[in-house]
Formats: sequence, structure tokens, C-alpha cells
Amino acid sequence: MMVHWPYILLLYFLPCKEQTSDNIVKVIASEVTAYPGKSGVLYIYVEVKRGYHIQANKVNDEFIIPTTLEINTGGIITIGKHSFPAGKKFRLEGTNDYLLVYDGVFKIITSFNTREKIQQGNYTLDAQLRYQACDAKTCFSPRTVAFSVAVRIV
Amino acid sequence: MKGFLTFISIVILSGGPVALYGQQTEQPMIGQPAPLFKLQSIDGKTWSLDQVKGMYVVIHFAATWCPFCNAEAPHLEELYQHYRNKNVQVFIVDVKEDKGLVEKSFERFHFSFPVLLDTSGAVSAKYAPEGVQPDLARHEVPIASNLVIDKEGKIRFYSLLNTVSFDAKLTKLKEQLDELIKDGN
Repeated sequence: MMVHWPYILLLYFLPCKEQTSDNIVKVIASEVTAYPGKSGVLYIYVEVKRGYHIQANKVNDEFIIPTTLEINTGGIITIGKHSFPAGKKFRLEGTNDYLLVYDGVFKIITSFNTREKIQQGNYTLDAQLRYQACDAKTCFSPRTVAFSVAVRIV
Repeated sequence: MKGFLTFISIVILSGGPVALYGQQTEQPMIGQPAPLFKLQSIDGKTWSLDQVKGMYVVIHFAATWCPFCNAEAPHLEELYQHYRNKNVQVFIVDVKEDKGLVEKSFERFHFSFPVLLDTSGAVSAKYAPEGVQPDLARHEVPIASNLVIDKEGKIRFYSLLNTVSFDAKLTKLKEQLDELIKDGN
């Protein structure tokens, strides 16, 4: 469900990509071209290391750490909405509970608006993905991976 | 030669090496003295392992964000209620979290046994089996694990988390505890 081969190919062959990884997730943000005063969309691809899962963006327990995305817009753009995929059900054996998780590769779609008065040029926005992962043997403390998003205003 | 081959076949078919491997990986530190500790509980009392020597001690390492710990929580309380009059003490050791958060998160489970705060992670790190998850910060390794310590203070059961065949109801731990109680060890 979460593994989409076109995404995997994109992760490795996307031109002008910004890629950052720690030992559990790899994040790639596609470079985006935008016009002043117009709206646009950012695509952020996340690859979770094989054998691991991370909690989804929508979780069913308030103390579970959801996967979240934060982009420091620097006043260049205004973020509209981050659209995360639905989580995959991971049943907790021996209980009626399940977790909502991501594994494999998934995509976050972020809509944005560009400022009306902005100079043409290349901008780099700092971003962070926060997540909490588990593998077959352990659950890891919540972690944050920092990456950048390249925006070209034309 | 034929006999030897038959023996090898029986061992392989019976899953002997798998079982042996399982024992080594899933039950570390067995027979070793449990590392001593002195920690504060969320209600401000100080608890040490020395203090409960002569009792069977069940320890669960937890964190509020750990989904498997939360799934096990009601079963730990049930376990405590079942064994509390059988010379058994249960502790949760919360790893590296703020007291307020731990109180708020665990309130829903109505634990009647002590929840201890290992705010520095030093105690948890002492319980990290050598060589297990070498890439991980040592205090993270025991999170979601369960241990049984016998009356002499030796580790008799140590289950590292297995998310693939998760034992939320603590079945194996209870079996070990029953055996220890029966044998009077």
C-alpha cells in the first residue's frame, strides 16, 4: 500500500532534488518553480528504511508522536495545507488496538501561495520532518530530520 | 556417518538452531545480577532494587510515546493485581521524560504500582544488553522490554520488544513468574 515504485524511482532520479536522510528516513523535496502572487504545490517524498515503520500523521492516541512537517517559509511563501497519506493499519498482536503507520515510500503534498511582491530568484527554505519509528525489535525516541526545499521564483 | 547425518537432519528439522538463536537474542543477561538503581516514583517516593530484595520484581521500561508500552499497560496492571499477594513487585521505569508528561499520560491506566522516573536514562542504559542494537543510544534499547528479577536479585526473564510477535498480554512473562513462584526461587 505504501510502496509506490514511481516514487522510489523519483527518489533516485528526480532532477534538482534536495535530499536529506538519517539512518531511518530519507526525505526528498522536489524543486518548485513559482510565480509571484500565485499558488503552487510542493511534493515531499519520504522513504522509510526497510523493516521500520513510523507513526502516521493522524494517530489514534494523543500520546503517540505523529509524523509532522514544518517548513520555515521565511516570508517567501504562505503554506496552505500539508496533505499526508492515510496510515496503514498495524495491528498490535494480542490486543484489539492498532497503530496507523507509514512504511516504504510515501508522499506529502503541500499547497502554498507566493507573495505578491517578491524578487525573482532562487530561495532555500528550511524544513523539518518529525517522526517516531519502530522496527521489529525496538521503538526509537522521536527524531527530527532537517532538509531544505528549493523554490525558484520566475 | 549415516547416524551423524540423521542427527543433523533431526536438529535442522526440529528447528533446534532457531530455538537456540531465539534464546540468545530474546533473553539477554539471564542469570546476571540486575543492575541496582534508586529512583523516584511519580508520587515522590524513592524506590531502590535493594529495598525489594527477597521479592520477585517485574520491570517494564516505558516511554509515553511508545505505542507498545501503552498497549501493554492495562495488562501490567492486571498482572500486578493478580500477583501482588504472591510476593511480586511491579515497576514501570519511564525513560528520559518529564514528570508532568508521564503523570498525564499514565493517569488513564490507573496504575496501583510505582511508576519510576529515570529522567537521565542512566538506569535504562545499565539494562541495555551488550551488543544489542549497537547503533542506538543505550538508554533507548530497553524501552518496551520486560524483566523478571528473582528473590536473589538475578535476572530470570528479559524480553526485548518484538513488534512482529508482540506479547501484549505478557503470557511468557507470567509463565516464567509462575515457574519461579512454584519453585520458590
